[in-house]
Amino acid sequence: MTRTNHTSAMHVPDPQRRAIQARRTASVAALKQSIFNRVMLAALVVVLWYLASRNVPAFVLPSPERVAATWIRLVSLPSFWEDLTVTLSRVLAGFALAAVVGSVLGLIMGFDRRIGDFLEPVVIVINTVSSVIWAIFALIWFGLSEGTTIFVVFMTSMPLILTNVWKGTQQVDPGLVELARTFRMSRSKILLKIYLPTIMPEFFSGARLAFGFGARVVLIAETLGSTSGIGYRLRQAADLVQTDQVFAWTITLVALMLTVEFAVLKPIEARLFVWRRLAAP
Amino acid sequence: MSNVALSGISKWFPCKLDAPLHVLSDIGFEAQDGRILAIIGASGCGKSTLLNIIAGLTPADQGHVAIGGVPAGGDAVVPLSVMFQEDRLLPWRSAARNVGFGLEAAPITVTEKTRRIRDALDMVGLSDFAEAFPHELSGGMRSRVALARSLATRPEVLLMDEPFSKLDPGTRTQIHGEVLRIAAAHAVTVIFVTHDVEEAVVLADRIVVLQPRPGTIREVVEIDLPRPRDVLTLKVTEAVRSLRALL
Ligand SMILES: Nc1ncnc2c1ncn2[C@@H]1O[C@H](COP(=O)(O)OP(=O)(O)O)[C@@H](O)[C@H]1O
Ligand SMILES: [Mg+2]
Repeated sequence: MTRTNHTSAMHVPDPQRRAIQARRTASVAALKQSIFNRVMLAALVVVLWYLASRNVPAFVLPSPERVAATWIRLVSLPSFWEDLTVTLSRVLAGFALAAVVGSVLGLIMGFDRRIGDFLEPVVIVINTVSSVIWAIFALIWFGLSEGTTIFVVFMTSMPLILTNVWKGTQQVDPGLVELARTFRMSRSKILLKIYLPTIMPEFFSGARLAFGFGARVVLIAETLGSTSGIGYRLRQAADLVQTDQVFAWTITLVALMLTVEFAVLKPIEARLFVWRRLAAP
Repeated sequence: MSNVALSGISKWFPCKLDAPLHVLSDIGFEAQDGRILAIIGASGCGKSTLLNIIAGLTPADQGHVAIGGVPAGGDAVVPLSVMFQEDRLLPWRSAARNVGFGLEAAPITVTEKTRRIRDALDMVGLSDFAEAFPHELSGGMRSRVALARSLATRPEVLLMDEPFSKLDPGTRTQIHGEVLRIAAAHAVTVIFVTHDVEEAVVLADRIVVLQPRPGTIREVVEIDLPRPRDVLTLKVTEAVRSLRALL
């Protein structure tokens, strides 16, 4: 078979191209507006905090400048970075385990309906168990070890990822799988080129949720069953009524989570899901 | 050689409560190499099922399909593409990457892949829209991307299941012209399903008329009119009228 000249291309209207450009520009403007709103809101909160702190004792609500001073002192201590690293690595370890196990289980449950139906109650039950209960079990099973905190993060975040990936597989378009079959695509390629992109948005929203939960429950696990990390420091500060310390740690954590959200998650998502963002009317 | 020959094709779909549904009964015809064959018939008479059997997506219960003289489903496969009623574009891929989808089943060099994608987009007149996503394109443009995707693999056989039925008449006529031009230029054997008799007469060299319950061949009609065929000319309207009488 030969491919020769392909002349007489069909006519496509130019305004359509401009419309596509315009929609992309509009979404950039919307982003700028939303950043401005966030900054204004943060400024408002600080002002209110300042006014409120002038009328109550420092151990109830320390003033912003006092917390700032405490924070600067805190950051200059070597133990700050140690605690931060310890806690972060626990979150990451538990989260990474959860991402792998949750994704694999979710995919299997989505592939085979029977396995999915069979295991569904387990997922529901695990989801209803409070993180504190996992922490207590972990204490009984693992004692005061790394295993305890990682286990709690894992048990809290794994079902979230699993549920989302599983839901994602149910959205795989059978028409696309059929199309791939007409091109004689192998099963592994179908998995890679159709299943994986389809579950990506779901995986991502599950992972974001799971990371946020993990980063919060790790503190509970550390206050109950650890002798290091941010959770442990928080309990110490509470025992000594060092409210400014608690505030300084809280601000650190909030800043950290926001950094992860805007420096890591959002850019990755924006890159991965351009098609989705633009598909929204 | 890439003619498509069917003989004695029968198909039943199992029913939970009732006896199996007899969808196709003893279907046999030949689509000649480089020609266009249309399958027409009322809705539900088994046209899509028949096309899926030819495509190898649905197994037949009886009978054989031979493509290019070789029994279908064997190792020596003739390159074949299917266009469905929906465009079935991958929403997360740009037009160009959608066109390249079918090329990813087998090993291919990057330069060759890029070239094939460019050629295919050229053929359907969408070179300027290579980076656009499906939701940014109109229905007609999406259909053309699907057509380009079907052509990028350089098929010898192109199967189409009412692929343009959702387009407005003007766009549809335009795409018909494209299909005719491309099929002739590259000697593709085309089999397409339609419920539109006019569409069948304008495009096809041979028309297989099916009748329902179970789907059997009512008649095979040769259309021996010069191209391009204008729906308003007497010969075309006569052919359309006599075919309508068969349905
Ligand atoms: N997978 C299937 N299982 C059971 N019945 C089916 C299936 N696919 C099609 N049918 C039935 O077979 C008949 C023919 O369907 P189809 O080939 O889609 O007809 P057409 O394309 O001519 O409208 C219809 O009655 C339809 O309900
Ligand atoms: Mg049909």
